[in-house]
Amino acid sequence: MVLSEQLPALIVISPLICAFLSPLLYRRHARASAYLVLLSLLLSLIMAAALLIKVQRTGPLFYQMGSWPPPWGIEYVADPLRVYMLLVVVAVSLWIFIYAIKDLEHELRDEVIGWYYTLYSLLVASMAAMTLTNDLFNLFVLMEICAITSCAIITIKEDRECLEAGFKYLVLSAMGTGCFLLGVAMLYMVTGHLNFGFLQEELSTAVLNYPLNVFTAAALFIVAFGTKAALFPLHVWLPDAHASAPSPSSAMLSGLVIKIYAFSLFIIFYRVFPRSLLDSLPLSEIVLWLAAFGVMFGSIYAMLQTDLKKMLAYSSIGQIAFIFLGIGLDQRLALVGGLYHIAVHAITKAMLFMAAGTIIYATGVRKISDLAGIGRVMPLVMVAFTIGSASMIGIPGTGGLISKWYLALGALESGRSLFVLVILLSSLLNAIYYMPIVINSFMSQEDFGHGVKEVPKVLQSALVIGMVFVALTGIFSRPLILLLEEQMALFF
Amino acid sequence: MAENTVIAIQIAIVLAPIIMTPIIMYSDRISDKLRNGLSAATAAITFILTLTLYPFIKNGGIIQLSLFEILPNLEISIRLDLLSFSLAALASFVWLLATLYSLDYMAKEHACGRYYPVLIFTLGSCQGIFFAGDLFSLFVFFELMSIIAYILVIHEQTEEALKAGYKYLVMTIIGGLALFFGIIIIFELGGTVSLGVGPIIEESSALGLIAFICFLIGFGMKAGMFPLHVWLPDAHPVAPSPASALLSGIMLKTGAYGLIRVFFSVYSYQLIQNSNWDNILVVLAVITILLGSAVALTQTDIKRRLAYSSISQLGYVLLGLTILNNNAITGALFHIFSHAFMKSALFLAAGSIIWKTGKRNIADFKGLGRQMPVTMGCFSLAALAMIGIPPLNGFLSKWTLALGALDAGMLFFVLVLLISSLLNALYYLPIIIPAFFELPDGVVVEHHGEGHDEPPVKIEEATPLMLSAVVILALCTIFFGLTPNNLAFSLSRLTAAFLLGGGGF
Repeated sequence: MVLSEQLPALIVISPLICAFLSPLLYRRHARASAYLVLLSLLLSLIMAAALLIKVQRTGPLFYQMGSWPPPWGIEYVADPLRVYMLLVVVAVSLWIFIYAIKDLEHELRDEVIGWYYTLYSLLVASMAAMTLTNDLFNLFVLMEICAITSCAIITIKEDRECLEAGFKYLVLSAMGTGCFLLGVAMLYMVTGHLNFGFLQEELSTAVLNYPLNVFTAAALFIVAFGTKAALFPLHVWLPDAHASAPSPSSAMLSGLVIKIYAFSLFIIFYRVFPRSLLDSLPLSEIVLWLAAFGVMFGSIYAMLQTDLKKMLAYSSIGQIAFIFLGIGLDQRLALVGGLYHIAVHAITKAMLFMAAGTIIYATGVRKISDLAGIGRVMPLVMVAFTIGSASMIGIPGTGGLISKWYLALGALESGRSLFVLVILLSSLLNAIYYMPIVINSFMSQEDFGHGVKEVPKVLQSALVIGMVFVALTGIFSRPLILLLEEQMALFF
Repeated sequence: MAENTVIAIQIAIVLAPIIMTPIIMYSDRISDKLRNGLSAATAAITFILTLTLYPFIKNGGIIQLSLFEILPNLEISIRLDLLSFSLAALASFVWLLATLYSLDYMAKEHACGRYYPVLIFTLGSCQGIFFAGDLFSLFVFFELMSIIAYILVIHEQTEEALKAGYKYLVMTIIGGLALFFGIIIIFELGGTVSLGVGPIIEESSALGLIAFICFLIGFGMKAGMFPLHVWLPDAHPVAPSPASALLSGIMLKTGAYGLIRVFFSVYSYQLIQNSNWDNILVVLAVITILLGSAVALTQTDIKRRLAYSSISQLGYVLLGLTILNNNAITGALFHIFSHAFMKSALFLAAGSIIWKTGKRNIADFKGLGRQMPVTMGCFSLAALAMIGIPPLNGFLSKWTLALGALDAGMLFFVLVLLISSLLNALYYLPIIIPAFFELPDGVVVEHHGEGHDEPPVKIEEATPLMLSAVVILALCTIFFGLTPNNLAFSLSRLTAAFLLGGGGF
């Protein structure tokens, strides 16, 4: 069918169109505008699911934008791996949006909510496109859209803290994209191509002729994506940005935005760089050690926080490092674990931020020490928080265990047991800072000392969806894991 | 019995309590009676279902079945053999008694709506540990049980309890991570973690040793092995008494059970013996035995003393395991039974005393034997069994263990057992003797003429339900000790032969 051939573009276009329509509609019917976004995301989700079925049946789909063939035109590739990532992006953003509809009323001025919808849809569109694109320059453009929109959904709150954090984020993010553009230019210089497939072919010879160019480009890419994805020690912007943003934005940023960059780095490593380059340069090794430090330091910093959302933000630094650990180990099973962790952490961290957001919504409390006894007042929210924490620690039955299992297996397989210890130690540290919150909220003898507003049903249902997701990733992980294993087998 | 029936029963044994948990939680809103009734009924049904497996086991049946594949090559599977049956039957029996005991004991307590569901849920996950057919399922249930049992530990929600609970939780997580590491290494080395394929690791390797140490940490932590016992003396005493009885009587054993599986199904025990890895455990077990007893001497709180005693008693099991011959394994397994009966009886009796009189300090126990003769009588019986007086079951297990040690030519171990028995006597007798032969403080004996009359003491026993639980457990210490032909001992003997004979793979 013709329509099914157009799916990769339609998935991106659906939220894109909605981005322009929703502020118009918002003036007249605020509610309808929210439903429009919801509808467009749902549409994208359905199409993404259809696309997954299609590519699994018929193999990868190469889509040429405007029918311009690859070396000149922009090409989108839908293979099961990219569509997996696409599904995660679309599904999680749809879910976060359900939460956002209600939460934003509380956090933002009414006039800007319509614009928030625009930014949100644009962000989703850019991330969806980033998963599919097969063109370096297109990737750059999308990264810029993604960076600006994600910066805007932080600063839209218009308080001092958000503006400061947003500014910091903008500057560092611009530095990242700058590095990326420079790297792209260097590769273009030596190969004359921007398309991933053509680049990979040309690079294997170009690397012999112009080694310096290619090496510099590789280094620039690591810095660029490292900054964007908050890889230690380039993470400095993340805690402020993620903690001060409105809760749906935090969920979005911590849950998806940083992962999309990790995923892009992964794609560039394995789809743009020829295998010989990866073998001759210690690129993976660098990423691996940075990730190992990130895992440890993220957790240690998180332990020291007193603000709930800040703690979650620091925890993201540790968790994103797990994904980089998979890339750094450069091993089939570890990559399965790292890529699976994208989905697991997207769901878990988004849920934790939603739970934190709900607490702030209902009580205004942000300090961890003030949460004593809150579990008895808001049981559902704290149960969600508990399940999220369990997944962070890696307790059986949650997705966190599965990704750690594969990462550890990969580390053992490549003979680097040290990194298994890193993984285990970080789980322990996670336990040490997540558990006291849970325990205190349920078991503390003190009663919760703040007023509690009623939590709207929408927020509650978003949390329930999250809990179901976490359990699903923990128990019925097999099909996804098989998909990832199959895809990873293509690289090794 | 057809295999399918057995499998269905086995699944029911694990799932029934877990499914009942939310129902019990909900029934709490309707009425207390309903909740209590449902809890007791669930425990009873679990026990009865477990017993129905006996004929199948008696005919030498073994079940190993994979139910559900979580990840490629990694599945949730069930296993039933002599070892799992023995422990499952023991656990559900003690659980039933502890649940019945709780009905009265907890009547005055707060938060019963939380206590019973947790009690029943841990029963299900404990049975899950014993019926797990591979290390991964075992790990899943082990973690579930340990983490949920946290709620039992901190039931009182006092500062002390929360502190002990936190320690417990951190140790549990550390143990869990160690297990995770161990299991993943086994998976990496052997490609499977099933308990039903015979020894997975048969060659010595550095990774194999690391995994072995990880298992020692993970399971040893649960079994209160030195130096990972630190959580135990804090966590067990602060829990409500029936929960302490289960924690000390049964849940500790899951650690020992895990180690037994590691010794026989994960590694070949010849490998462990030949590469001298068991020496690690030997040293730790001996220290555990002596340290547990020695520290128990210094405790003044009855439940803390019992908790330390548990540490030392589990040391026997670990010691028996390391000797690795028929008698020693029989002794170790039988001691799992013995200790479950003795320690549960002791904790429940101590619980009755605390419940009735509020006395926790051993110095205040003077004259208690007159006030609560049956409870104190049962306490004494169990305490004597602990010391190892024939014809009680503690004697039988120590005798068999000592025989095993002699078979292996390890005279030193016999000495350790004797010293520990002596220490047991030193800390149990000073509880019993004053309870019966001294008068409570403040009561003066009046002398008139020859002889003296003691003032009459009013007999105040705990409720009949609580009493009967204690009495049944105390009687078990006699019943399973009188002759070596009892069910528990023959099960242990069969299991030991079964394990040493290759575990029926």
